[in-house]
Amino acid sequence: MSTIAQRIGKITLLIISLCICFLPLLPGLIGLFVSALGYIPAINQYQFSLTGFNQLFDWPGLSQSITLSLFVSIGSTLMAALGCFVILQSCWQHPIWRKLELFLSPILALPHVAFAIGFAFLFSPSGFISRLCAQFIDGFTASNWSLINDPYALGLLLALMLKEIPFLLFMSIALLKQLNIEQTMITGRSLGYSSAQVWQKIIFPQWLPKIRFSLFAVAAYSLSVVDVALVLGPTQPPTVPVLVWQWLNDADLATLPKASAGAVLLLVLCVFLLALLRAIEWLFISYHRHWQTRGRFALPVTGKPLLGLICSISFVVIPLLLLWSFAQRWRFPDWLPSRFSLRFWQQEWDYLYDVICSSTVIALISASLALLFAIVIHEHNNGSSKPAIPLKIPKLLILIPMLAPQLSILFGIQVATLLTNSSAHMLWVMWAHVFFVFPYIYLALDGPWRSYDKRLDKVALSLGMSPLRAWWRIKRPILLPAIWIAWALGISVSLTQYLPTLMLGAGRIATLTTEAVALASGQDRRIGAIYALLQSLLPVFFYLIAIIASRKSGHKLSLNRTNSILSPRAIMKKTSLRIKKLSINDNE
Amino acid sequence: MSLTISDITIFDHQHKPLFSPLSFTISAGEILTLMGPSGCGKSTLLSIIAGHQLHDFSFNGDCFLNDKNINTVAVEKRNIGLLFQDDLLFPHLNIWENLAIALPNHVKGLQRKQQALATLGQLNLSALADKSPTQISGGQRARISLMRMLLAEPDAILLDEPFSKLDKSLRAEFRDWVFTETKARKLPVLMVTHDNADIPTGEPCLHWPWSGVNASGC
Repeated sequence: MSTIAQRIGKITLLIISLCICFLPLLPGLIGLFVSALGYIPAINQYQFSLTGFNQLFDWPGLSQSITLSLFVSIGSTLMAALGCFVILQSCWQHPIWRKLELFLSPILALPHVAFAIGFAFLFSPSGFISRLCAQFIDGFTASNWSLINDPYALGLLLALMLKEIPFLLFMSIALLKQLNIEQTMITGRSLGYSSAQVWQKIIFPQWLPKIRFSLFAVAAYSLSVVDVALVLGPTQPPTVPVLVWQWLNDADLATLPKASAGAVLLLVLCVFLLALLRAIEWLFISYHRHWQTRGRFALPVTGKPLLGLICSISFVVIPLLLLWSFAQRWRFPDWLPSRFSLRFWQQEWDYLYDVICSSTVIALISASLALLFAIVIHEHNNGSSKPAIPLKIPKLLILIPMLAPQLSILFGIQVATLLTNSSAHMLWVMWAHVFFVFPYIYLALDGPWRSYDKRLDKVALSLGMSPLRAWWRIKRPILLPAIWIAWALGISVSLTQYLPTLMLGAGRIATLTTEAVALASGQDRRIGAIYALLQSLLPVFFYLIAIIASRKSGHKLSLNRTNSILSPRAIMKKTSLRIKKLSINDNE
Repeated sequence: MSLTISDITIFDHQHKPLFSPLSFTISAGEILTLMGPSGCGKSTLLSIIAGHQLHDFSFNGDCFLNDKNINTVAVEKRNIGLLFQDDLLFPHLNIWENLAIALPNHVKGLQRKQQALATLGQLNLSALADKSPTQISGGQRARISLMRMLLAEPDAILLDEPFSKLDKSLRAEFRDWVFTETKARKLPVLMVTHDNADIPTGEPCLHWPWSGVNASGC
C-alpha cells in the first residue's frame, strides 16, 4: 500500500472515530443550556428566560438534596480510594493477589443495579442478614430503621463504596506495574522503612496522582447516578439526579424548565466536585509534603477484612437473587424459602427472551465499535508511527462522557433527537451506548498501550515489515489479552446503561437494566430478582469468554508475567528472535 | 563494626549448590570485593545478606553483623545499606527530600530539611536541592544515591556493581569518593563487580571460584 493511501486511510479512520465518539457532546451541551435558559420547543416555549432556574431554587428541600448528593459522592469516593489503597498495601505481595486478579473480573462484571438490588435484599429490615439474625439470636425483631432508602443516604454511600473499590483495584493494577513496586520496596526497606511504611509514605504519593482520573470517574458517577439511587437512595428528598429525573418524567410538562435547570445544576456540582478532589490531592501530595519525609511511621491498617467483605457481598448477591427468583413463599424470618416454584420464570420467559436479545445485540455492537475506535485513538496518541494529524487527543476530552453527569448530557442529546423528528431510536440508543462505553475501554487499554515497548515496532519495521503488518503480527498478539478484557468491560458497561436506553429509546427499547430498575421498586421481589439475576449473569458470561480467550492468547507470551525483572535487553532479544522467525516465514 | 559470613551455600531451584560453603569476615573500614562471572550467585549473596526474599533460591549458613546473628532479622531492621547500578532515587520527591527521607527517626521536623541541605552543601551540590531526579546528571544522581544510603546510618554496606552505569571519565573519581566516605565512617563494605579496575588497591578480594578462606591482595 502506498504511503499516501495509508495516510488517507489513517485520517479517515481517525475522523470517523472522533465523530462518533465526541460529536454527541455538542448537541448534548448546547441542548442542555438552551433548554435551561427557557427555549423548549417541545412545550412551545420559544423565549429565553430564567424561570427554570427560579423554579429550581424555589423548590423546598433543594439544599438538602444537594447536601445529600455531595455527601454521597465525596464520602464514597474518598472511602473507596482509601479502601482500595489499604487492600493494595495488604495484599499486593501476598499469594492472595494472584487469586484476587482472577476474582476481580467477575466482581467488576456484576452490574451496579444488580449489586444494589442484592444489597437491598441483604440489608433491608426483612433482608437476608436480618433473617439470619432472627434465626440465631433469640428475641431479635426487625428494626424500623433501614439502611435501604434511609434519609441520610448511608445505604447508598456504602453500596457505592463497596462497588467502586474493585474498579479502583482494577485500574491500580496497571498503574502499579508502572511504579515498579518491587524496586521501590527493596530501596525503601534497605533505608529502614517497613513494608507498610514504604506503602504509605513512598508509594501512596506516587499512586494517588496516577489514579486521579479513575477517582474522578468514581466521583462523577456517584454524584450523578440515577438507577442505583432509585433502588437504594433517600426518597424525601432524593438526591439531585433522582430529583431531576422525576421532574423529567413528570406527566405535567411544566416541570421541564425546572428539570433542565436541575441538569445544569448537576453539571455545575460535578465540576465543583472534581475541582474539590483535585484540590485535596494537591493539598496532600504537592503542598503539605512534609509528612512524606518526616520519618518512618505508618498507620496500622489491614485490608484483608475489607477485601473479604467486598468479595462475600459480591458473591452472595447472585445466589440470593437466584433463591428469590424461585421462591414461591418466603416469609420472614425463614432464611430459606418454604416453597419453591418455577412459575415466575415460566411466566416471564417470553418477554425475557426478547429483552435479553435486544440487550445483547446493543451491547455487542456498541462495545465492538467502541473497541475499534479506542484502538484507533490509542494508536494515534501512543502509537509508534507518525500520527495522521499532529494533534494529540487530550485525555480529558476522551474522559468527558465518564466525568460529566450522564443525565445532563443526555438531556441535550434528547432535545437534539427530538428536533430531527425521526424514529431511528435504535440508532440513537446505539450511538449513545458507544459514546458512553468508549471512555471505559479507552482507560482499560491505556496501561497496556503505555507499557508496550515501542522499540519492538522499530525492530519490526527495520526487518522490512510494513506498519500495518507490524501492528497485526507483533503488537496485536502482545496486546490481545488486554483487548479481550477491555471488550468484556465494554459489553458489561453497555449492558448496565440505564438512562441512554430509556431517554433516547422513547420507551420502545427495553433492556435488562431498564426492566430490572422498574421492577426493583415494585411489589414482587421475585420477578425483580429474575431480571436482576439475568442482568448480572450476562456480563459474567462475556467476561468468562474474554478471560478464556485472553488466557489462550496470553500463555504464549511470558514477557510480562515473570516475577523477576527482565532487562529490556533480554526482552528485545527474545522478541526480535521471534520477529525474525516470523519474517522468515513470511518470505518463504 | 564487622560483617561476618559463616558457611553460606546457595541452592538453586533444583537444589544444586552454586558454590562451596563460603566464609569471610569484613572488619570496620575494610572493603572486600567479590569477583565472578554472571550467574555465579554474587547478587543473590548480597540479597541474602540484605535479607530480601529469594524467589528461586534457598540458602544454608549464617550472617553476623557486629557479632549478632541477623538471619531472622527483618530487612528494614538489619541496618544494612544497599547500592545498585541504578540510582533508584524516588521520582516524586526532589533532591533534598530524597535525602531527608533517609534520615533516622530521631531527627525531627525542620532539622530534617536542614540536615539534608547541609549534606548537599558538603558535596557542593546545593544548587540541586529543589530539582527532581530527572533533571540532574547521572553522576550527580549516583552521588545523591550514595549519600542517601549513608544518611540512614547503616552498620554495613553492600555494593552491587555500583559503578557500571557511569561514564568512564566519572567512574574513577566517584569510586574513590565512595571508598573515602565509607572508610571515614568505618563501615565494612562488601562489593560485587566484574570489573577489575573497581577493586581498591590494598584491599582483599575473592576471585571466582570462591574458596572458603579470606584471600588478601589482588
